[in-house]
Amino acid sequence: MSGPRDVAAGRRPVIAGLGLTDVGKVYGRSAQQFAADAVRLAVADAGLQMSDVDGLLTSSGVTRGVAMSLQRDLGLTDLALLSEMQAFGATAGAMVQMAALAVQSGTASVVACVFADDPLKEGKTAGSAYGTRRAPSGWGGLMGASGYAGPNPLYALAARRHMQTYGTTTEQLGAVAVAQRDWAVLNPLAQLRTPMTLADHAGSRWVVDPFRKLDCCLVSNGGAAVLVTTAERAADLARPPVHVHGWGQAHPGRLLKHSEDFGLVTGAVASGAKAFAMAGLTVQDVDVAELYDCYTYTVVVSLEDYGFCAKGEGGPFAASGALGPEGTLKLNTGGGQLSSYYLWGMTPLTEAVIQARGEAGERQADAHDIVLVSGNGGILDHHSTLILSPHPVSGGAA
Amino acid sequence: MVGPLDRDGDTAPFLDGTARGEFLLRRCPQGHWSEPAASTCTACGSVELSWAASTGDARLVSWAVTHGRPDGDTPPPRHVLAVVELDEGPWWWTSLVAADPEALSPGIPLRVEFARAAEQYEAVPVFRPV
Repeated sequence: MSGPRDVAAGRRPVIAGLGLTDVGKVYGRSAQQFAADAVRLAVADAGLQMSDVDGLLTSSGVTRGVAMSLQRDLGLTDLALLSEMQAFGATAGAMVQMAALAVQSGTASVVACVFADDPLKEGKTAGSAYGTRRAPSGWGGLMGASGYAGPNPLYALAARRHMQTYGTTTEQLGAVAVAQRDWAVLNPLAQLRTPMTLADHAGSRWVVDPFRKLDCCLVSNGGAAVLVTTAERAADLARPPVHVHGWGQAHPGRLLKHSEDFGLVTGAVASGAKAFAMAGLTVQDVDVAELYDCYTYTVVVSLEDYGFCAKGEGGPFAASGALGPEGTLKLNTGGGQLSSYYLWGMTPLTEAVIQARGEAGERQADAHDIVLVSGNGGILDHHSTLILSPHPVSGGAA
Repeated sequence: MVGPLDRDGDTAPFLDGTARGEFLLRRCPQGHWSEPAASTCTACGSVELSWAASTGDARLVSWAVTHGRPDGDTPPPRHVLAVVELDEGPWWWTSLVAADPEALSPGIPLRVEFARAAEQYEAVPVFRPV
């Protein structure tokens, strides 16, 4: 696999701009308007003009509200790259990978990667956006008729299998939620900043056992964008570049099939291995980890799959005090999807860029040389990994 | 207990089976079993799949318990969702009936039965501990 090291230093991909709209219960704007705002913010952040953008990759959330017509909304003409992308929660990482390939090959020079969603409607519950039963026919209809609505029960079944197989407990899942809330308290961008305890977790209502409300991510309106360009182009821009050292994807394709891995092992194993190999690094080199956390359980299984602890030890690892601002592993430093904001794969990616730049204020990790970003989509069936750094990729092609 | 379900072209053969009390699976010429929605054999990649009845016996792989919102003093209704492994090998995402959530464990034996939301809707498979 050709990575940044295989091209000349000036052609290597960097993230040069970051745009994040107001997120959370923000009403009166459509997903496409959030997307346009996020791109404008990212362009301004980089110190570029909109006319410098010659590539646009768009990604929608649950409302499927961002279309390729975003090009027209932004007044972008003569693009060299334009596409909608969809790998569910893995999309943000996949967009950066596509953009990195585009800029290092010269296909495009400045690629905006944007996600936006507007699932929250004023006066309606968050669950109504995601809990919709499918059409009353087809294989999806059969699942709906069998009692399934939305992703919660499917992840709960995966989590139960992990708990039964490895002895993972509800209290260990709660430790993830508490650690991330401790980070969110320090994050002015976070939606939930009130400190919480294990008792708060244990007392929150069941959504679908083994998940309580505080095991589940937020639902948010908003948009986020990053600009990907080459190291050469980024050299005289407004912000310190965040270099893309490695990437990987894995799509196991075993959803709703007999799969001995179900709930136990995810695509993070293969996706992570590819990204680390490209970067010439190992998990021991990671200073900050931003792992996709649609549920507390997703964090536990991802910690194992990336090798931060042994398989089956994710629960005890989380409960050991290793996580949180005082912990040994700087994980989901903004509070993650559980406590900060839920913009699918843009939640870990935006926080990773902020940390890599060293601009995270009170929650800044002291060491942030290597930042790992994961994306997880579908029901653990799509995975993407990025390895980012404030330092350029060294060695390789001249 | 089960929701309303209509048939479409993809599910019609399977729902013909549920209507006569059979849980059908896909089977390739080499005898490998695949799940009902498969169009390619999971084991060998064959696309020549036919429908064949399973025994309807299964074992529990995993389960989750939905809790409705409490209504006054009435305890919220509970419902057990489950992944089951048919004896032939394929897995199926379903609901359990007459199951005490506290008494479940991986591997317990289950047997299929069928339920309709109302007379005009299709029969949906559910599983009961035996």
